[in-house]
Amino acid sequence: MARAATTSDAFNAIAEPQRRDILALLRGGEWPVTDLAQQLGMSAPRASKHLRVLREVGLVRVRGVGKQRLYGLDARGLRPIHEWVGGFEQFWAGSFDRLDSYVQDLKQTRQGE
Amino acid sequence: MADAQQAARAQPSTADREIVISRSIDAPRELVFEAFTEVRHLSHWWGPEGFTTTTRSFEFRLDGVWDFVMHGPDGTDYPEWITWTEIVAPERIALLHGESRDDPNAFTTVLTFEPDGATTRIVMRTVFPTRQLRDDAVAKYHAIEGGRQTLSSLAAYVSELLRRGAQR
Repeated sequence: MARAATTSDAFNAIAEPQRRDILALLRGGEWPVTDLAQQLGMSAPRASKHLRVLREVGLVRVRGVGKQRLYGLDARGLRPIHEWVGGFEQFWAGSFDRLDSYVQDLKQTRQGE
Repeated sequence: MADAQQAARAQPSTADREIVISRSIDAPRELVFEAFTEVRHLSHWWGPEGFTTTTRSFEFRLDGVWDFVMHGPDGTDYPEWITWTEIVAPERIALLHGESRDDPNAFTTVLTFEPDGATTRIVMRTVFPTRQLRDDAVAKYHAIEGGRQTLSSLAAYVSELLRRGAQR
């Protein structure tokens, strides 16, 4: 079955571990590509390629500051990921909250017997 | 490239179509496990606050079925159909979860229960057949959740990013 192109889908884009490393680094602020590549132990061309993919799915943006081009997070692309994680995870976090208090009741009842 | 770091990652085969949620419960493993095995227990906690369930049939055994309707706080009913594919008391439960028998969109969930001192760690790993089916199923859960405000840590983190992004 054909997969959605990596360059058009944020979920596929973040399935690649090095691209997740880049996103994690950019949480802390903006980086020029050469420093980013050095920090993550990858070649500059490879970092550039990953950054291009991340820009195309709207997860990363670039701006020029003087002679430098600084890469930073573009939160708009994270929205679909936020939505699917939020819904499912929240549902189960809520269920497990209730499980926890229910099991505490069970524990006390059993201890009282 | 750090090979060791690479090797420590989740298996690439399912990493982009699975969700792993873990939670510690302050109770012995046998008791936590028991809460998953009987409908009189499950009906007390399945779904977040405000949700209730009506069970049509329930048989907790290998290949047994839990056929039920989940009622959302806004009155919406959701048909649910679960069959157990592995039961190892009190360690592990695997199940197939869909809306009805033979639901092509059903997903698999493996729950493991590990003792950790006086508490029990539950790890819930859900694997969807394809990325598209994951998105469909999760869209449903997002709809079920509605505007609930209790954010998980990841959701809270991403919310913060969205807010920071909007301020630029």
